Amino acid sequence: MDQDRRNDWIWFGSLWAIFSAIGFYLVLGIDLLPAQWAHEAEIVDDAYILLMGLSIPIFAGVAAALLTSLLRFRVQVDDIPTEDGPPVHNNRNFVRLWVASTLILALMITVNPGFIGIAELRGEPSADIVVEVQAQRWSWKVNYENGAETFNQLYLPADRRVRFDITSLDLVHSFWIPGFRVKIDAVPGRVTHLYVTPEGVGSFEDDFNLRVQCAEICGLGHAQMAMPVTVLAPADFDAWVSDLAEGA
Amino acid sequence: MRQLLRAVIFGILGYLIGAILTWLIRGGSLGDEVCVVFGYVVGLIGWLFGIGMGDTWVREWFGLPAREFEVTGWKRYLGFSTDHKVIGVQYLATFVVVLLLGGLAAMIIRFELAQAGEGILNADRYNQVMSMHGILMVAVAVAAILGSFGNYLVPIMIGADDMAFPRLNAVTFWLIPPVAIGLLAAPTLGSFDAGWTAYPPLSIVNNGGQILFVLAVTTFGLSSILGGLNVITTIVTMRAPGMTWGRLPIFVWAAFAASMISLLTTQFFAASLILIAMDRVAGTVFFDGGAGGDPLLYQHLFWFYSHPAVYVMVLPGFGVVLETITHMSRKPLFAYKAVVVSLLSIAGLSVIVWAHHMFTSGMADYLHGPFMFASEMISVPTGVIFLSAVATMWRGKLWMKTPLFFAMIWVFQFLMGGVTGIFLADVVTDVSLHDSYFVVAHFHYTIMGGMLFAFLTGIFFWFPKITGRMINDRLGIIFALWLTIAFQLTFLPQFWLGTNGMNRRIADYPEQLEGANLMSSISAFVLGGSFLLLVYILLSAAIRGPKAGDNPWNASTLEWQVSSPPPEHNFSGQPTIVGHPYGYGTAGSRHAEFADMAAGGQAQPKQAGTGEGADDE
Repeated sequence: MDQDRRNDWIWFGSLWAIFSAIGFYLVLGIDLLPAQWAHEAEIVDDAYILLMGLSIPIFAGVAAALLTSLLRFRVQVDDIPTEDGPPVHNNRNFVRLWVASTLILALMITVNPGFIGIAELRGEPSADIVVEVQAQRWSWKVNYENGAETFNQLYLPADRRVRFDITSLDLVHSFWIPGFRVKIDAVPGRVTHLYVTPEGVGSFEDDFNLRVQCAEICGLGHAQMAMPVTVLAPADFDAWVSDLAEGA
Repeated sequence: MRQLLRAVIFGILGYLIGAILTWLIRGGSLGDEVCVVFGYVVGLIGWLFGIGMGDTWVREWFGLPAREFEVTGWKRYLGFSTDHKVIGVQYLATFVVVLLLGGLAAMIIRFELAQAGEGILNADRYNQVMSMHGILMVAVAVAAILGSFGNYLVPIMIGADDMAFPRLNAVTFWLIPPVAIGLLAAPTLGSFDAGWTAYPPLSIVNNGGQILFVLAVTTFGLSSILGGLNVITTIVTMRAPGMTWGRLPIFVWAAFAASMISLLTTQFFAASLILIAMDRVAGTVFFDGGAGGDPLLYQHLFWFYSHPAVYVMVLPGFGVVLETITHMSRKPLFAYKAVVVSLLSIAGLSVIVWAHHMFTSGMADYLHGPFMFASEMISVPTGVIFLSAVATMWRGKLWMKTPLFFAMIWVFQFLMGGVTGIFLADVVTDVSLHDSYFVVAHFHYTIMGGMLFAFLTGIFFWFPKITGRMINDRLGIIFALWLTIAFQLTFLPQFWLGTNGMNRRIADYPEQLEGANLMSSISAFVLGGSFLLLVYILLSAAIRGPKAGDNPWNASTLEWQVSSPPPEHNFSGQPTIVGHPYGYGTAGSRHAEFADMAAGGQAQPKQAGTGEGADDE
């Protein structure tokens, strides 16, 4: 390999290292993700960070190759180009290596955070409490196990596994709690399920992402179709829910 | 002109006949959706009859000779022309206008979203403007490259004198104006507000404008299918002698793969929309969960087309960019065969990934894994496209004119779209990110980055061929940089907004998200402003740009071996293909020979002899 070609690769390698370093610094140094309010949020964020970590070197590699090309291979052309590049049509081994590595990488992320993440996120189909949610343009009605009912207010106990049974009376809505990182559509004629274990005590006043937001367009009130979520300590929740049931 | 006027009159008369007959038979009011449906269908037939089908096919069906109109000059572009180059320009002009209209809607959207709370639009208006923006831009993305460059270049690149079905080609284009009229007339019936995806039951219970959406988009689908059929038939049957499949320019392969998708999957979109129309006007309950129908049925049908559709948008983009890179780097396209295999694999894989749009829809859980796996697999052939783009430039002689500049930016943009797509193909992260602004940012990088930037690459690369004039290169590069920087500042904040709790398609958002939204909005206006520069660049170049000559880039493929613009039947003599399309760097390599050297085959510097050493092995 002559000096000139070696220099191309040195340029490429240096830029790659620099871009990757900048990428990792930005991703790990800046708080990209909001506060986690559920066990599921940790699983989702871990998957997010893992994918970020894998994407950065790939992204940096292509970007470094682009910049190396721009800096080192550009030529001044006065009128019409007469000089051609080397007649390289293919490099079979390099293509094989490239396809094999992208295939392995794709399979890797399909397994983790793919299949493994799905299994973790879904967990066991068992729950400590069941909460029924009914969506209707443009509001939410919530029923708790003991007959208590709230309207556009969701109260949950911390550290207990909750199963939501969600349905809709009219259109397709979507039940999204950004602080929990989970969502599922509310479909008329069907009951969909979502398992969540809230962590930490807090409310919408503490973090606006502790809210249920409709995430499927449903007409006029779609943007406003949100309800605040309040996570109580388990004992407080029990007291709250039985008070409410007696009052009702 | 006469044809156009006649088409308008027949169209209006047809509409009135259809609507009034339905009204007379059924009672009710003339504005009822049933009357609109029948009015539209008869009006569409009247329009097509008036624009030229009546002069050609219909007369021949009755044993009469087809009537030919001798139209020359700019009036050709306003009539039923069967010349593929005229049709290509018609597409180009139409979709640049639609692009600017859709962009205007985008500006209104960002104006509304600059601050929390209700601004210039109420929620209803917002949904309508957002839906209009969506469907206009999807139409641009589907048809702009394939319609304009596909029509203009594919026949020339394969050495043919026209498309396989020239009249069908004209019909394909003239189906577009009724689409535009249908969509833009929707406000008269209360507009449509269900987004471009039109999920039921919303799209069944909303205002009457939705029915015009359904009719217009179905018509657009018909145009897509016919266009795909024509491109495929042309490539299969019209190749010049010696133009083997292994010698096709890569853009032709990309157009072929994309046309396969539109030919084979568009029906599903049409079917789902027709079922919506029936639920609306005929009292069926296909999508009514309460009455035994299923809203998810629509989503499966819809995405069965609409995911492959994104490859109808970007595959031609791959072709344009790779074509530009190989010519402007003066190096053969790296791994030609692997790229062809990748284009076809993407087309194949595209039909088995649709349900990754439905991970949170409530469909059966066991479907998540397989669709995630298939979606991740698409990154392998896409990776080959990136490899080819980058490796073709590696140690090339990069001529940094605007087209190559845009092509390199395209690589960056689509890379960004591709990498963020992994987060949405992965079920775990998608459960959080689905329907958030992360998705909005992602598809603007893939579709705007991957398709629009390729479209711009193509405009700057082939403008000299189509108009015979050169574009001001300095302004072109300023435009490229302006657009790209504003683009990053507009859409990067939207990734953050998505992960931080902003869902898409909302007129209002929590005020904690105001900062990033304001930044995105201001950048969007700067982005929008760059298109004024584009319009100026194109108009000034078309009117008083310097003459381009036949081959300003000294490129090797067939379209550069004829005059700019090309003569009426493309070649004065029959070209014979004798070698690989990209023989750069091989002394004596050449792509084509012309029987009649006087007209088409001027001296080709560094392109003489046979192409043996240049074939890809």
